[in-house]
Amino acid sequence: MAAVAPTPARVVSPGFLSRLEAWPTVASFIVLVGGWELLGRSLNQPFFPPLSSVLNELAINQAEIMAALGTSLTNLVLGFIVSVVFGVGLGLLMGAFRKLDAALDIYINALLTAPSLVFAPIFFAIWGLERWSIVAVIFMYSTWIMVVNTVTAVHTVPPEMLEMGRAFNAPRIKTWTRIVLPSATPLIMAGIRLATGRAVKGMLNGEMFIAIVGLGKLVKDGSGRFDASLVLAILVVIIVVAFIALWVVGWVDARLTRWLPKTSR
Amino acid sequence: MIEIKGVSKAFPGRKGSEPVQALKDVDLIVRDNEFLTVLGPSGCGKTTLLRVIAGLVPHDTGEVLVDGKPVTGPGPERAMVFQSFALMPWDNVLTNVAFGLEMQGVDKKTRELKALELIEMVGLGGFEKRLPGELSGGMQQRVGLARALAVSPKVLLMDEPFGALDEQTRRLLQEELLRIWEATRTTVVFITHSMEEAVLLGDRVVLMRPRPGRIDQILDIPMARPRSTHLDSVESSGEFTAMVGLLWSNLRAMHSDVRRARQAGQAAATKP
Repeated sequence: MAAVAPTPARVVSPGFLSRLEAWPTVASFIVLVGGWELLGRSLNQPFFPPLSSVLNELAINQAEIMAALGTSLTNLVLGFIVSVVFGVGLGLLMGAFRKLDAALDIYINALLTAPSLVFAPIFFAIWGLERWSIVAVIFMYSTWIMVVNTVTAVHTVPPEMLEMGRAFNAPRIKTWTRIVLPSATPLIMAGIRLATGRAVKGMLNGEMFIAIVGLGKLVKDGSGRFDASLVLAILVVIIVVAFIALWVVGWVDARLTRWLPKTSR
Repeated sequence: MIEIKGVSKAFPGRKGSEPVQALKDVDLIVRDNEFLTVLGPSGCGKTTLLRVIAGLVPHDTGEVLVDGKPVTGPGPERAMVFQSFALMPWDNVLTNVAFGLEMQGVDKKTRELKALELIEMVGLGGFEKRLPGELSGGMQQRVGLARALAVSPKVLLMDEPFGALDEQTRRLLQEELLRIWEATRTTVVFITHSMEEAVLLGDRVVLMRPRPGRIDQILDIPMARPRSTHLDSVESSGEFTAMVGLLWSNLRAMHSDVRRARQAGQAAATKP
């Protein structure tokens, strides 16, 4: 007897309908932008400039902002790469070895809840105004959530999948590469997504409070002069950076977990 | 041939309660090329028995021999089909079916050729590039069956393989399994909680009883082979009805024994 193919679930074709579905996003954006401009103009206060003067500020300081952005992005990418490698790596080890998990779990959770900036003086003492101080702050902000998620990801691999591997004599290394890692990928990627936002925060805080460089320096300068337009202009840049970072991570995630059913994304 | 001699297995109970005797002094011989079905109420240890044969859980006492060699763990001559299918959702049908061979270190070309052959045999030709999530439950279990058969096992261990399927799909898969088995005559140990399924598929039915899990009796199923070509007339035959009736009267007696034991236990517990 021949098996019959189930009808594949049809996604609404992109185009008019999907654009229509996006209307709440578009509408809220228009309201926010319009509201900001109107409120800024009607208040006419230096601490809340309208959007137009913020964008104007952005254009005036373009060269300076781009240079600062370069510095900040380098810090972000360095800190984030170190965090992902260490965070996911440690998480996998703790997932694999229950004793290591038992030994470290409490400290990981402590570091996760501790305000990461309190470590700033230590980093400052070690690296001074070097880039590594900021990288270390980014690391403290973003690593621990990835450790926690990765440990959970390894521990929640379905037991029947592990039993299946055993029944087919899977060697330990194959059990990891063919069952544990693919199964854990969605949760690990969720941890990396959360860590992305934290890394951007860590970058800015590090640049504002330790080694005064990059976008953080501009924010600090601007706020020192009560230049709200400049501060908000940098905020816009940072939000754009965060969105691009999240988009990149999301893109990688989507490629790694293509097999997940659409509903569980 | 599988020889099970005096096998007992106890699991530690939950905190404070007594250990659960899943199997007690089980003796059983599974003959070569036999289709053996194992039936019993829940808690009778039938799945534990299968997992002991598979080498997934160690037994406490006694011995389990497959072709004279003691079972110390899973082995390539035994392959398992799971109730939950246990397919890898990130791999397509072809890769899933080839998984057992991959674990044995068979090269990619050889194992995929073998897998394609099995995919064809279970009626999934053309679906090799699909992901399990795109298949119905019945089709997923065909993949599970093909994966087990791909390693050319001497013994096929099936743990309520159709238990998670709807009635109609189950019926079609029973037919399919019989057709494949009649062609290959691999030794099968098939766990089920369905009396009809046990009789329809088996050469012999092992009836187990709970607390502690043990073999109650073994029944020969006299109906002729091949059966896959005329399952409907097999099911309407007097032999079939008589066998199912016999199993049911035994099972019903077991259920009332269990109830009586529970009531006696409660009565003992409430006494001052």
